[in-house]
Amino acid sequence: MKHLVLRFLAVLFVLSLTGCGYNTFQSLDEESKASWSEVLNQYQRRADLVPNLVNVVKGYASHEKEVLTQVADARSKVGSIQVTPELLNDPEAFAKFQAAQGQLTSALSRLLAVSENYPNLKADQGFRDLQAQLEGTENRITVARNRYIETIKNYNVAVRSFPNNLTAMALGYKAKPSFTVENEKAISVAPTVNFESK
Amino acid sequence: MMLLASFNVHAELAPIPVLQHRVTDLTQTLSAQQQSALEQKIAAFEQEKGSQIAVLIIPTTQPEAIEQYSIRVAEAWKIGREKEDDGVLLLVAKDDHKMRIEVGYGLEGAIPDLIAKRVITEIMAPSFKQGDFYGGISKAVDALIGLIAGEQLPAPVNQNGQNSFGDLLPLLLVGGLILGSILRAVFGDFFGGILNGGVVAALAWFFGVALLIALILGIVAFILTLIGPSGLGQLGSGSYSGGGGHSDSWSGGGGDFGGGGASGDW
Repeated sequence: MKHLVLRFLAVLFVLSLTGCGYNTFQSLDEESKASWSEVLNQYQRRADLVPNLVNVVKGYASHEKEVLTQVADARSKVGSIQVTPELLNDPEAFAKFQAAQGQLTSALSRLLAVSENYPNLKADQGFRDLQAQLEGTENRITVARNRYIETIKNYNVAVRSFPNNLTAMALGYKAKPSFTVENEKAISVAPTVNFESK
Repeated sequence: MMLLASFNVHAELAPIPVLQHRVTDLTQTLSAQQQSALEQKIAAFEQEKGSQIAVLIIPTTQPEAIEQYSIRVAEAWKIGREKEDDGVLLLVAKDDHKMRIEVGYGLEGAIPDLIAKRVITEIMAPSFKQGDFYGGISKAVDALIGLIAGEQLPAPVNQNGQNSFGDLLPLLLVGGLILGSILRAVFGDFFGGILNGGVVAALAWFFGVALLIALILGIVAFILTLIGPSGLGQLGSGSYSGGGGHSDSWSGGGGDFGGGGASGDW
């Protein structure tokens, strides 16, 4: 009789694995990792554009030292952060990463604002192309970030709601950090890179 | 309260029009002829290459920036083939004096951001400034077609000419069963079966199915006819009824977008 009860409980346990959110965690966890990679991918793409952009601007506006150094500093800071998958599970490191990317964003927008004052720079085809690429990349970052926020929302809802939260606690799944709102405002404002004369 | 507030925010966003045609003009800027000319040009290209291009002209994207509205439209319409992600959305916000070319993932190589930007500043903007919207859009579509044409993409699935085997199978099954029961009534079980098998095999072969498979299909048809199709016939016609039927409306193929492309103004 006791054996029967044990067996029944074992079966119930296995069945409950599908009902307790374990599989949901698996798929949402993977999804959030994938959308996070896309965010990183696009940030990397932006970082790769910076050296060329700085060089072109230097050619026309070499005495804008302050802005140029700001961009270079921000760029190297972004490059120095070790981006590991664990970053996602560490809110502090995540915030640091965000701060560095945000700094690069504002430095870049200042650089582009300054270059408004140099008609020759604005007419340079190389600069215009870089500017179009930067614009596109900033937009891709926004899209990737929004998609990341969306997947994290789904994941966190799954982790926190009952009865899944019991499973999450037992198996060590924690809520993941998302882009905060203040952050979001500062970063999602793409640098105004509109140089077309009206 | 919260719900109400969020609903209001949502309601203020510019609505996404229902996708029915390749060219959607909500501003009555293009004449009917111009629309159909564009439509035909894009449709011909889609037949040839498989990539999908959609043109949307709206009055304004406010309160959103054109980029935000554009990605919402792209996500809703899903232009381009699934997996290939080879769709392009050409969006014009007429009263905002802004335009955008939204490029699907699969075409980011064929139409890099800076090329999209040049199409906007060098082709569209000059025409738009003169009020020639049709000319600008038409030339931009030509340029996009030229860019995509150079890209290596899988051939489109042709819907008219050669049917794929998968499309043909239900037709053969239902047709074979109906024909089988008629032939059986006229010629008797055995000869009816042989005749039906022969017809099915010949038809399959005619439509480009390999000879061996056509023969196997014929034998299956023969056996099915011999067994008697009464029960099977119902099953077959029941599950396959109402298939096909292409209408005039057009829809996206499931392509994904990641925010690639460029925006501009005039």
